[in-house]
Amino acid sequence: MATTLVDNAALFTILSSLADNKQAIGRRYAFWCNGAPALEAAVAAAAMTQDELGHARTLYPLLADFAQGQDDLSQLDPMTRTLHHHLAYLDHDFRGWSDFVATNFLLDTALTTFFEAAQNSSYEPLRQRSRKIVQEERVHFMHAEGWVRRLAKAGGAVRATLIASLQRLWDETLCWFGPQDDPIMLRLYNEGIIDAMPDELRHRYLHKIMPILNELDIDVPVEFDATTKRWMPGQTLPWETWGVLARRTGET
Amino acid sequence: MTSIKTDAAQATGERGRREALNESRVWHVFARRKYEEPLHEIGNVMADDVELAQVYARSIYDEFSWVEMVLVPRDAIVMVIAS
Repeated sequence: MATTLVDNAALFTILSSLADNKQAIGRRYAFWCNGAPALEAAVAAAAMTQDELGHARTLYPLLADFAQGQDDLSQLDPMTRTLHHHLAYLDHDFRGWSDFVATNFLLDTALTTFFEAAQNSSYEPLRQRSRKIVQEERVHFMHAEGWVRRLAKAGGAVRATLIASLQRLWDETLCWFGPQDDPIMLRLYNEGIIDAMPDELRHRYLHKIMPILNELDIDVPVEFDATTKRWMPGQTLPWETWGVLARRTGET
Repeated sequence: MTSIKTDAAQATGERGRREALNESRVWHVFARRKYEEPLHEIGNVMADDVELAQVYARSIYDEFSWVEMVLVPRDAIVMVIAS
């Protein structure tokens, strides 16, 4: 029986990016399964690796249902895929444990913010996966929050290294949601696949992480509009080097 | 060539880093697999804050589908009869 293919380039792009980022996060985390600062943290890293790779494995099969995926079937399987639409930050091994913590705290939380916006999605496969992923990510955020606090409070070189990791990932993570007029996010929003546009997603994301960074006196370029009670980037994001399809910097 | 002084400074820095990240608080982990069973101690984890203790307990003691898991900080336990 012939199956009707979904014809939606915007959704295909976002699902590819989500899957590639989850896959890359899992692979980077895997290195730390026996290298974390404590045995307990190493076991937690192993569990989080499995979770992230599991998220990727539930997302990749969806790509096969799209008309946009039929031209090159090798791109639908992580084993044969040569396109890597994950953040440039994940191109290389983590420099240290602080990169693990920064990825969990910043990037994974940003992806979770997207999944939260898709929990009532009109696209059922994403709706189902989003609810499950959001549930699992609660534990990851506890881990992220706990380790950001520990490294920041350790002071000295430990704190400086954490801040350097956060700074290197900061802009690219905020860019991932896209500019406010991003045609991909606009289509997803108009079709009820997500319930917010990029600026609102960024606000929700910053609303989640900023109380922790403020409490720890970690300075990042953001602004809070006291009148509208909304968070926003404090400086222009590097859109000139950001690619809307690959959703990563270093594209132009 | 690395000087002895630099090596010593690095060693001190490394020791300081390790000490700064050392977990020092012990949490006893209790769990049960069925509602009709009592909670029983299944092990412990070391973590300086309760959030990390929860994450560690969940990931280390994940061999069963527990219906309940709780943590008790060792420093909250009151000794009645010492062993």
